[in-house]
Amino acid sequence: MTEYTPVHVGTVTKYVVVESFDITPADLAVRAYEIAKGAMIKETCFGLVINGKEEEVDRIISELRTIDPDHIFIKDRGFPPGDPRRCRANLGGARPGYHGMEQEMTIIPYVSHGLEVIQTRDIQTVPAPQNPLEHTDLDVNRLKKLIEAQES
Amino acid sequence: MVKVFIYPATSLILSDLVARYGHTPLSSAVAIRERIQTAGLESPPLQITPEEPKKGLRWAAVEVPAGVRGRMSLYGPQIEACEAAIIINDADLAFGCMGCARTNELVKFLLRQKDIPKLDLYYPKSEEEGVQFVSAIKRFLDGLGGQK
Amino acid sequence: MTPPVRIAQLSCGPEYSGIQHEIDVAAHAVGGEIFYPDIALRDVRRDFDRFGLDVRSPDLKLAIARAMALVEGRVEADAVFIATCFRCAEAAIVRNELRRYITEHSKLPVVSYSFTERTTSGTLLTRMEALTTIARRRALLAREVQQGITLGLDSGSATTKAIVMKDNKIIGTGWQPTTEVLKSANDVIDHALMEAGITRDDIQAVGTTGYGRFLVGKEIRADLIQEELTVNSKGAVYLANRQHGPATVIDIGGMDNKAISVMDGIPGTFTMGGICAGASGRFLEMTAKRLGVDITELGPLAMKGMGGRVPMNSYCIVFGTQSLVNALAAGSTREDVAAAACHSVAEQVFEQQLQEVDIKEPVIMVGGTSLIEGLVFAMGELLQTKIVVPPHSQYIGAVGSALLASGFIQER
Repeated sequence: MTEYTPVHVGTVTKYVVVESFDITPADLAVRAYEIAKGAMIKETCFGLVINGKEEEVDRIISELRTIDPDHIFIKDRGFPPGDPRRCRANLGGARPGYHGMEQEMTIIPYVSHGLEVIQTRDIQTVPAPQNPLEHTDLDVNRLKKLIEAQES
Repeated sequence: MVKVFIYPATSLILSDLVARYGHTPLSSAVAIRERIQTAGLESPPLQITPEEPKKGLRWAAVEVPAGVRGRMSLYGPQIEACEAAIIINDADLAFGCMGCARTNELVKFLLRQKDIPKLDLYYPKSEEEGVQFVSAIKRFLDGLGGQK
Repeated sequence: MTPPVRIAQLSCGPEYSGIQHEIDVAAHAVGGEIFYPDIALRDVRRDFDRFGLDVRSPDLKLAIARAMALVEGRVEADAVFIATCFRCAEAAIVRNELRRYITEHSKLPVVSYSFTERTTSGTLLTRMEALTTIARRRALLAREVQQGITLGLDSGSATTKAIVMKDNKIIGTGWQPTTEVLKSANDVIDHALMEAGITRDDIQAVGTTGYGRFLVGKEIRADLIQEELTVNSKGAVYLANRQHGPATVIDIGGMDNKAISVMDGIPGTFTMGGICAGASGRFLEMTAKRLGVDITELGPLAMKGMGGRVPMNSYCIVFGTQSLVNALAAGSTREDVAAAACHSVAEQVFEQQLQEVDIKEPVIMVGGTSLIEGLVFAMGELLQTKIVVPPHSQYIGAVGSALLASGFIQER
């Protein structure tokens, strides 16, 4: 077995994903380059990948978030940008994680909406979402209404 | 800041919301980064060597498939370290690090065994559910306390 | 330079078992290149539903959708490698069904494998080599007639065999247990040449196969160095005169067993088992030794016995032998014990390997163990078919090599 010598040790890499009508990944990239100060920025189809010292990356991200806070989402990435081990061009197809991201991108508009709404609404008054661990039986009156709705 | 295990551990949405509201998400990427940045024997793509499934024996017995034990070597330490957890219960299409249903069952079970604050949710399927989803997560994270 | 053979990987778990690199290395070593069929999330949703196997693991859903993209020609590949974790029931079902689906609906050669964290590129090499050979060398495998004077050598883990052929006939043979690989090879070659009444200079082309194929092949400057899966398939249908249509080849060897589903002489799906000595020719050798008979006498002895009369509680070579010893001590006859040993090996191959290939008649048994008639009988009972054991079946690899080598005569 060959020895492995890691690169970019002590850095972090983060995805900055943008799902917005108002700004594009390219807009985000322009702003990121302006404030990069040596951090590595890579543009992708859904946003950016930023690599650098943790404080640097955090600083850039806080700044970028202000552009459109409800439509910019951040997550960690294990690999530095453009790593050949994860690159689509080398693998022939997308890495599995990409499809997971595709899946969440279909849900993100609802989350963005939630983020927008709670700025003007007291979250304590928002009803709790359905709890997956509570399997309540269907209320008999509700069942009756459902049947009636079907028949009409 | 409280360490919050997110399920699915690959979730962009959860990772973002946990960090957005001032806590530390424990995710697949963080576990993979540790391996990618540690010298040792070469084992691309993830730098998970055949030693990792052996480390996974701590959480799953030897008759459990290697892929489950290898994945548990990523999540086991995070489950032990986490102080809270958010679990999305209908994450059926999270691949790769979350691509094995048996590992996922074990991860969820170990989280449920742990006496920590937990929030169980479904993905939102409408705008109103989006509001409920974000509110529930914010209430949960605000309630965890810790210095932000 | 020839472009690499594009091998599509459908898998769950190898990256997390620490063995993805081993798969890549094995593929690379035989001129292959692993890639992942590129599809979108909507394809996964749609095709997973269309396929109809409702598994839970997302990576298996992805594998199913990728398989459909290959079969429907949306993604091009030369071959398919399916790999899932050993001991995962869900994955085993997917692995089998995808293998069957791809074989039935496309011409893509498929290898499926269940790995552990101990799987190495060495273990995968023969399978990958067979895969790339089938994908790339169909013309070579199309050969049905031996021409000129050729030599085939099979350097196996237990025995070394040589065959000299001339104008589609076997004219010389050599056989001996493998001791030193090169010495054993030279000895059997000399014997085969002597029997044929020719010298090395008369040989027009040489082929090698078996575990020692690279070492010996280099030494005797072979024209063809080829793994035993394709060579044995070719040799089996050639000797059994079943070169057209389907066939199933079973080779229970000294170190590993092969079960190959063949169509027109070209392997389709195959399995290679090699973890347990209890399912190998070695176990029968040990049984023969314990019964005080030569291995050649074990078969006839077994034919006189009834295996069912001897309790065998283990497939393991150590505990299995212990069961036989206990049975002898308890008064069982040597005939029954011999029959029980044959049944045990046949049953283990049947349960662990033959489930992964589609058994189509004729079933051809080859290799040294095919001469043990008790074993052939036991296998026939399990498969409910009459098993074909062609003449010279113990020389299968050498015959296949000599046959295929004649394609190289003109190149010389």
